[in-house]
Parts: sequence; structure tokens; C-alpha cells
Amino acid sequence: MPVRQLEPGIINRIAAGEVVERPASVVKELVENALDAGATRVDILTDGGGRRLIRITDDGAGMTRDDLALSVERHATSKLPDDDLMAISTLGFRGEALPSIGSVARLAIVTRHAGEPHAWAIGVDAGVKSDVKPAALSEGTRVEVRDLFYATPARLKFLKADRTESEAIRDVVRRLAMSRPDVAFTLAGEERAPVTWASHGAAALSGVSGRLARLGDILGSDFRENAVEVAGGRDGLHIEGYAGLPTFSRANSLSQYLFVNGRSVRDKLLVGAVRGAYADYLPRDRYPVVALFVTLDARELDVNVHPAKTEVRFRDAGLVRSLIVRSLQEALGRDSSRAATTGGSATISALRPNSASMPSRRNWDWRVSPARGGLSSVAMGATALAGLAEAAQAAFDVGAPSADARLNSIEATPDLIDKPLGAARAQVHETYIVSQTRDGIVVVDQHAAHERLVYERMKAALEKTGVARQILLIPEIVELDEADVGRLTERADELARYGLVLEAFGPGAVAVRETPSMLGEMDAGAFVRDLAEHMAEWSEALPLERRLMHVAATMACHGSVRAGRRLKPEEMNALLREMEVTPNSGQCNHGRPTYVELKLSDIERLFGRK
Amino acid sequence: MKVTVERADLLKSLSHVHRVVERRNTIPILANVLIRAEKSRLSFKATDLDLEVVETIAAEIGQPGVTTVPAHMFYEIVRKLPEGTQVIVESSGDRAVLTIRAGRSRFTLQTLPESDFPDLAAGDMPHKFTLPSADLKRLINKTQFAISTEETRYYLNGIYLHTSGSGKNLKLRAVATDGHRLAQVDFDAPAGADGMPGIIVPRKTVVEVQRLIEDTDGEVTVELSPAKIRFTVGEVVLTSKLIDGTFPDYGRVIPVGNDKTLEVEKAEFEKAVDRVSTVSSERGRAVKLSLSNGKLTLSVTNPDSGSATEELEVTYEADPIDIGFNSRYLLDIAAQIEGETAVLRLADPGSPTLIEEKVAKGALYVLMPMRV
Repeated sequence: MPVRQLEPGIINRIAAGEVVERPASVVKELVENALDAGATRVDILTDGGGRRLIRITDDGAGMTRDDLALSVERHATSKLPDDDLMAISTLGFRGEALPSIGSVARLAIVTRHAGEPHAWAIGVDAGVKSDVKPAALSEGTRVEVRDLFYATPARLKFLKADRTESEAIRDVVRRLAMSRPDVAFTLAGEERAPVTWASHGAAALSGVSGRLARLGDILGSDFRENAVEVAGGRDGLHIEGYAGLPTFSRANSLSQYLFVNGRSVRDKLLVGAVRGAYADYLPRDRYPVVALFVTLDARELDVNVHPAKTEVRFRDAGLVRSLIVRSLQEALGRDSSRAATTGGSATISALRPNSASMPSRRNWDWRVSPARGGLSSVAMGATALAGLAEAAQAAFDVGAPSADARLNSIEATPDLIDKPLGAARAQVHETYIVSQTRDGIVVVDQHAAHERLVYERMKAALEKTGVARQILLIPEIVELDEADVGRLTERADELARYGLVLEAFGPGAVAVRETPSMLGEMDAGAFVRDLAEHMAEWSEALPLERRLMHVAATMACHGSVRAGRRLKPEEMNALLREMEVTPNSGQCNHGRPTYVELKLSDIERLFGRK
Repeated sequence: MKVTVERADLLKSLSHVHRVVERRNTIPILANVLIRAEKSRLSFKATDLDLEVVETIAAEIGQPGVTTVPAHMFYEIVRKLPEGTQVIVESSGDRAVLTIRAGRSRFTLQTLPESDFPDLAAGDMPHKFTLPSADLKRLINKTQFAISTEETRYYLNGIYLHTSGSGKNLKLRAVATDGHRLAQVDFDAPAGADGMPGIIVPRKTVVEVQRLIEDTDGEVTVELSPAKIRFTVGEVVLTSKLIDGTFPDYGRVIPVGNDKTLEVEKAEFEKAVDRVSTVSSERGRAVKLSLSNGKLTLSVTNPDSGSATEELEVTYEADPIDIGFNSRYLLDIAAQIEGETAVLRLADPGSPTLIEEKVAKGALYVLMPMRV
């Protein structure tokens, strides 16, 4: 078959395959165009999961008649003014979106430029352009995309259910809205109630409060209460944003919003850095909620990696990584004994009686309260069916239940009550400490809390004394890729600090000479291979640190006060005071909260007093 | 401080004292033992804030002084030192460490200031009497098993010690109950017990006292006030807080009109209950007692595994009756019955049963039945 130049229509359709993957990518491209045009308001309307209709209306600069005609041509763009791919300051630059969309759908654009007497309209139907015609529009641009992918039935078949597609659109708009708190967004459509995120003013872009307000609008007010501010910068690289408390974690990574120069990305380096920063707070299967905005000189960044631009490359990846990890840890450390406030509200909703659950609790009967039932009227399950129920043990009347009376002997003095975790008032079920604060009560899980304290102490000791190393009688030779050997030996010093001593053994192997004695008898070969794989992907030695900390956590668990141990009032108060001064005491080693605070207002709400 | 002491003496008293110290603590000083050297005496003190043990031994005091070191570690060190050695314990004022030397071994332990060590502040103990340790052992053995572990009824988590009767019939009485069974034992009140308040001795204290008197047969001095109690056994002084609560009016629980009397050989009964309860499940340990003229049939039915029955010749003349009991409770009580024959006084399958020794020794037990 002879070689031939492809038709422009075919070329556009091929390009569309990369740029326009699904309705959500159309929305992303068009909203980015609107933002690049300087819009302060963007309205998005979709129908049929974006398949039937996507309409984006903005109040941006608009286009002149000639620009409009050119805009639907391939590789035509108003961006990239100096043809400098090294310094891209706009969201788009490739000049591919409109012709790609036009080649697979019915595209209609109406736009009004300030220099034109009236608006102009153009249509593209499966790659066939219509003439530019006069139209009516007072300002900005309105782009309508109908019957997406009707020209490429194969792609149409691969779309998911309308609901899924519309969910993807929502996610795209949320991410865009997070990056631009100064722009008002409206997302409407047949399948959803309209959502409007009002503009937080032009100052919102620079001020963190505007950022937080928009993040709260989008992620819910819980996030606003359970996030700490992150800020850091070095050498023209700036990081700001909000990090969720470890106890406010999620079961998947969907709630991680990462932005580079205002562009939402799903970049491995950034995701890895966030994971590294939270490694000590969260178990492997929990993910933090974060919204991080990285700003750097456009010349330090390559966004031209992928047409959808969700991946980026940094010139100095190590700096970005270390700055993110440091800023996050600094932010988390600052507020580290805080536990998520959602603990309290979750308790409230669990406690609150509702009409659905009340009738089902028929087993509950005040007459069988353990405080009742005298000797003569022996409390037995007389109605229980013989042979089915367990035989009931009868009991004497030994009086009403009464808690340990000694706590009352300890005065809840005002200076204790004013402490963040308050004055211990009781221990219940020999597991939970109930303490009173100025404006509420705190329930502490004694084992989880003490475990974290012991763990933090152990970690501090490890840092000071270093990890003890066991020298191997026969060095373990592990065969690896040459590249892996290089990566491991490059960071041999860091590994040695964690107790793993290895050196290159020819080009394709390393010799492990010493292992951390804490890990006992370990399969060094398998472990080093895992480590090398992880380092290839994330360029960090996290598995080693994680494994050591896991052992430390287990040791801490054994060395701490168990559930079921009766604590004296003095001991409880000592525990509370130590929690207040120990970093990270708000969550246990498994990321669960160590205490729950109920504000007086919560309790009042519970009883319908407010 | 500088002290020279025999390892054996040191080990014996540390083994008494270190048991009081909890292994895991939220207050660091509670992990330590207080060491005080003065006037050729060396004393050790350990506490968990409710209970305090002080033991004094003879030692050669080079220089008096006082300090605290981790109790369990100190005990382990002394335990592992070679037998028959002299141990030199030394601390200097300016460094917060204690040096322990024996033979060629040398240890230094970090100390905490003794001023932080809590004091139980025993206060005035207006009542004082002495008991033969054999009596105290018996008192504890016969009641300890019935102490409740349920924290919601805190006042049942100990032995209720008080006097009953008056004049020549004045008795020292110990009672414990967990709501399912009750144990009561009486002794002739020792001199000095008259007028003492009713007190509840906590379980941990009971266990520690039991250990202290395990291998002594001398006298035990008991001193008490409404809030504290002190036992002195030889050189060991154990002081404990009491449970602050009111013991229920247990007298109402002890049945008086039970007219069905069963007399059974204690040893035979105990073995038979143990045998049939082999088939019972972990959850339900009920054993059924079916009584008819001169015959007792024990039976256990476990829907998951099978059943067992055993017949015993007994003295019983009242109307036939079927009644169920928790086999573990029956065994606990049977283990404490002295003499060959146990007497069970029953009323009906839903009412408490009274268990006594045929030759009365001052102890009685009340047991609630199970519905079988």
C-alpha cells in the first residue's frame, strides 16, 4: 500500500482521540479556554452526561470575526505569543481543542469581541465548517457542543453511563473551580441541581482565606474545620494550600487535589510526596484529603508531556518533592494533637434517635435494667424458649450500679478544666477516659492514646541513637537491574541510617552486609528488590522506614496501657497532660482518633435544647 | 548513699515489693521503687497509688540516703546476680544514677528524685488487732472467689470485713458476693476488733496479702481506719486504700426458710459435677440437679455436643425437685467446704440455695440457681 498524506479531517479525528477522550475532557478544554480569555464568570450546562449537550458561557474577551474563523483550524491559537514552549503561562497552548471537538461533534460558537459591532457565530459539524455569520450576544463567548462523538461511533460505544460521565464532568469543574477562587462557576444540567460557586473576589487568588473559602464551598465545611494551612517556599518555588488532618482521612485518593501553576494534575511525583509526608500518620490504605497549589517559574516546568496535560515534569524534581514533604509535615506538626472534629459530629449523628431506628429497639425495656429486679422477683428470662436460649443465671439484689466513687474526691479544678483535654472525671468500661473541658467533654481511648505516646518516645529515641545493625555472616548477594543498583548505591548513606548497609557487587548485583536488627531475621533479598522497585517509582526509601516504624509501633502497642486496665484519677490526668504536649497524639498508629471531643453545643443539640 | 547487703535478703524483699508496681504506667515515678538507707536498715517502698508495700531489711549502711529506681529492672538485676554475693548499692548526690555492684558485675540505673514519689499518707489508724496468719489465709480463701469483677458495682470488688454479734459472741465476719453467689465466713473477733467500721478491702490488696502470708505462720497485725487498712507481716508493711462505698445489706440475701435438705458426700459430689460438666459448652455451664428420695441425678445437656448424667446416693427426704446451677460456681464452693459432708438447703428452682458444712465451721455460701 503506498504511503499517502492523511486528510485533515482524519488528522483532526485522530487528534481528537487524544484530546477529547470523554465529555469531561471537552468541558475541561472549553472552561480552560474561558479562563485563558480572562472570564470572571463561567456557566457550564450539560445534558445526557455531556453527550447530548455541553454549553459553556463566559464573560471573557471574546474573539473578532477573523479570529473566530481561524480558531476552528488545527494548530491555531491566540496563546503562546512568543512561540516559546519553554514558558507557558496559559492553560492551553496546543491549538487542538476546538478543531478536535469540531471533528467529532456539532460545534457552535457565538462570540463578541469589544472591538466588533456585534457578535459573530460559526458552526462546525463533524469537521465541516459553516460560514461566519452575525449573531446576537452582549459579551464573552458561548460554545455549544451537541451530539458528541456522533461522527466517531466507536468512541461513543466506549462511553460509560450518563451518570458516570456527568460525575466526571463534575470532578473536572470542581478542580478548575478550586484553582480559580476569583472566578464564579455555575454547573447546571438536567441530571443535577445547579451548583454555583460565587467568586471570592480578585484578591482571592493571592490570599489564602479566599482559597480556603472556595475549598470549603467545594469539599464541604468539614474540610474547612479539619484542615491546616500549608505554606512553604524556596528558590522561586511556592507551595500553599490546605492539608486535612490525618484523622480526616479517606479510603481512596480521590480527594487529593494537586495543582501546578493553576493546572490540576495527577502527577506521580506529587502524589508520592504527599504519601511520604503522611506516611507516619496514616496506614497504607487510608488517604489524606489535601489541596495543594504549587507555583513556580514556568521555565522550571514542562507541561507539554501529554495532550490532556495532567502530567508535568519538573526541572528540579527533588526540590519540589522535599519542599512538599517538609511543608506538609511542618503544617501537620504544628497542629498535631488535634483530632478531626468530625468525630464529635459522627457521635452526635450516631446517638441522635431518629424515627426509623426507635421502634426497632424493642429489646430495650427499662424494667429489665440491671439496677432492678429484687431477690424475691428473680430476674430470669422466663419467656425464653427452653433449649434455644442460654440458661439464665439468676442474681441477687446487690444494689444499684455505681461507678468508682473516688473520682469525685479529685476536684476538677479550673486550671485543669482550662487545659485543652480538660480534667479527667471518670473511666468507663475500663477503656475510655471521660474528661471535662471548659466547653464540653472529651472521651479518650486510653490504649490508643498511650500507644501513640510510647511510639513517639520510641521514635525520638531511634532518631537519637540510630538504628542498631546486625552484621550478616554471609553477605546476601541480590541480583538487580543495573539501574536499580545505581539507585540503591546512590542512597546508601540514607539506607545505612535506617540500618541497611549495602554496596554494589559488580554491575548487576548488590551485597547486603548489615540489616536493621529490629527487623530480626529478614529476607534481605526480597526486601531489597521491593525497595529498589519502590525507589524506581517514587525515588524514596519509604518502605524501609515504614517497616521499621511498623515494628516500633508493635513494640509500642505492647508497652502501653491496655484497654481493661483500671486507671487512677492521677494516672488519667497524667495521660491527658502528656497527650497535650506530645506531637501527633491526636491519632493512634493506625490513623484512628485517640480522642473525641463533644462540645457543649453538640450535647445540647443532642437533647434538642438548641 | 552507700549500702552493702546480702543478695538473698535483697532479692526476697524486692520480690515482695516489685509485684505492686504496674508494668505499664502513665506516670513514670510509679514504675520505680523507693530505696531508703538509714540506721543499718534498708527499706524499699513501692506503690500503685492505691496500695503501698514497704519492706525493711538489715544492711550495712556506709552512708545513708534515699533514691528511686525502676522496680522491675532492679529486681531482674538482683535475681540474675550470682547466689551468695554481697551487693553494693551506691548513689552520689550530683548524678541521677544508682550503681549496683556485685562480684565483677556493675550496673547503673537512672534514678528519679524521691520527692516525686507519692505517699499514701496513711494517717491515724484507730483500730488494731492481730490474727494468726492461718486464720487470715482461711478468711481470704473462703471468700475471695466470690468477689465481683464487674466495674459498674464497684463496692462489690472486694471483701467486706466487719463485726457481727456482740459481747462474747462478737464475730469478725468477711463477706464477698458478685450477685450470683455469696460467701460468708465468721471468726471469733480478736481483741481490738470491737467497734471497727465495716470496710471493703479491694481485690488487688487481698491478692497481695494472700501472697505475703503464703509461707509464714506467725501473727499478722491489722490496723485500720474508715479509709485505709494496714497489714504488718514480719518486716513487710502493706497499706491500702479501701473501697469507698456501701456494701449491700447481704443479710436479706441469705435464705432462712429453705426446707428441702440435701446431704451429700463432698468429694464425691465435686468429682461428679466436674465429670458431667465436661460436655457443657463454654457459654452455658449449667448442670441440672434432679432430686428424689435418696437419689441425686446430675445432668448436663449441650445442644452442640451431647449430654451426660450421673447418679449419686444422697440423704434427701423432701419432695422431688429439679434445679440448675452453674457448674463452675458449684465447684468453687465445693472446693472451700471443710469436712466430709456438704449440706444444701433448697426452696424452689428459682430461689437461692444455702450451702453449709455439716459440722459447722463458721462458713456459709449462697448460690442462685440457673434456669435449665
